[in-house]
Amino acid sequence: MTLRVNDLKVYYQTLRGDVHALDGVTFDLADGEIMGLAGESGCGKTTLGKSLIRLDSRMKHVGGTIELDGKNVPIADEKAMVPLRYHEISLIPQYAMSALNPTRKIGRMIKDLMKARGVDPASIEDELHRRLELVGLEQDVLNRFPIELSGGMKQRVVMVISTLLNPSLLIADEVTSALDVSTQRAVAESMVEFRDRGFVKSMVFVTHDLSLVYQMADTIMVMYAGHVVEKASAKTIVNEPKHPYTQMLISALPEVGSTEEQGRLEGIPGKPPGLLDPPTGCRFKDRCPLAFSKCSERPPLVEIEPGHWAACWKTG
Amino acid sequence: MSNVAGAPGTAEKSDGAAAKRGSEALHYARRNPKLLIGLGIVLGLLLLGIIAPFFVDHDPNEYIGPQGQAPDGEYWMGTTSFGQDIWAQFVYGLRATFLIGIFGGGVAFVIGTAVGFVAGYKGGIIDEILNMLTNVVLVLPALVVLIVVTAYLEVRGLFVQGVFIGLTSWPWAARAVRSQALSLANRDYVDLARLSGRRTWKIITSEIAPNMSSYLVMSFILLFGGAILIAAGLDFIGLGPSNGVSLGLMLESAVGWGALQRGMWWWFIPPGLGITVIVASLYILNVGLDEVFNPKLREL
Repeated sequence: MTLRVNDLKVYYQTLRGDVHALDGVTFDLADGEIMGLAGESGCGKTTLGKSLIRLDSRMKHVGGTIELDGKNVPIADEKAMVPLRYHEISLIPQYAMSALNPTRKIGRMIKDLMKARGVDPASIEDELHRRLELVGLEQDVLNRFPIELSGGMKQRVVMVISTLLNPSLLIADEVTSALDVSTQRAVAESMVEFRDRGFVKSMVFVTHDLSLVYQMADTIMVMYAGHVVEKASAKTIVNEPKHPYTQMLISALPEVGSTEEQGRLEGIPGKPPGLLDPPTGCRFKDRCPLAFSKCSERPPLVEIEPGHWAACWKTG
Repeated sequence: MSNVAGAPGTAEKSDGAAAKRGSEALHYARRNPKLLIGLGIVLGLLLLGIIAPFFVDHDPNEYIGPQGQAPDGEYWMGTTSFGQDIWAQFVYGLRATFLIGIFGGGVAFVIGTAVGFVAGYKGGIIDEILNMLTNVVLVLPALVVLIVVTAYLEVRGLFVQGVFIGLTSWPWAARAVRSQALSLANRDYVDLARLSGRRTWKIITSEIAPNMSSYLVMSFILLFGGAILIAAGLDFIGLGPSNGVSLGLMLESAVGWGALQRGMWWWFIPPGLGITVIVASLYILNVGLDEVFNPKLREL
């Protein structure tokens, strides 16, 4: 088991109180698993991605543990996390387009980064060239400024940099949201390729694009208002979701070629609850058509069939 | 995988061996008129200030010529109403002006940027403390402090004057640099650099400072100009270097002795134009430098 997250609670501190962005998140990630992490905006998926590598100054680790390859990940301890980053846990940020310093050439930047990580840049140079080639970039990009690259090229450069030290866990945060569809495919394919070649052991792919994640991910985890609602293989989530929220989320997706005559798309009525003072019990109960009295207690995440986890009283 | 869709970079041909950054900057520098003009004027005036005084065989403040003489073959820039040679004053004044600008502006720049970067990048309590210090120095009546300090000093050289001007004029630069650093410190690439565990100092010099280099140079130029003007004010109230000459002092005395009313244009135009041209060409030089070193502004 590569990654084991147990009852993770991370709150944002604000003047009006704590925002319960992650409230008891538990899941496992197997070796070689690409997990898509889906959900509405504000459900905590980016927070979870960040928590795995670095808490920013407003985030507070309240409880729960993270284990990577059997070792505890001290996410609350900034100093202890430094040696792990890039070596064990790496990140492709949401903002890959602006992740490159505009006044430095790519090659120089990579050298600086490797030095900062205590790696001799010369020792990884061949590997760097190989990987650039793998994602379809010429070696020449190393002599260019970020401004001279297109968005997709920058994205791929960042991808290569993030995985250069063969991290055990890669967090990809909305990496495809700013790209056009053909580039999205190229990026997604390279990610899978990286996993297949063993550059990264496992991957958390944060996205709200379910169709993309269905193509590339092994499993999908759906979050709602800081809770995990369902985790299963990508096929199961898309074709036979069990949790009412996942069902409604999937039914809200348009299909290619659908027209209005075939029926308007169903949205999910209502809004997600505020997390400053979250409701007790199941957080979806106010929008859930199946809600009943028991929903005022929090449903546990249980394995309803092998590899399929859901947190709902009706499915358990 | 090497023929990924949407990989425009692959089709492009790499044009020969990649030039080193130094020669690349030179390539753009040689083709940038702003840089060439600015640099030309600044260097020209600097050389004039360094070399020309050696060819003046008398003291610039000596009364040697006819009084109030318009420019002619003997006195290239005419004489003051006391008979001082304005050309001699001008070239000595240039030298003093550059010195005071570099010392005064330099000291203020070093303190101001150091305080600004640390405050803007670190934030929190460090920012609070440094900002308070900055504001305290900012509201100190700098001229009064300078008067008190210089009045107590026994030796008043250009260097000492420059240092004290620097020590009192850094706050606004600190504030300006702080605000820029504050905004740059939240940029994504700085965030990633921080993630890699690099030292604060390294992040400031390699990620933040290069992205505000034109801003920094401009701060220095404005501090440089400010130092010249403060020095002129000090000189005027008799607290300048003993028996000093500077463009500021020339300007002040020209105005003080009514050169404007008496139509003695040769008295006030050279120093006034001198200061304006130095500062303006430094500014043009800065714009040129920005275009050379900022890849976004480069034009072929």
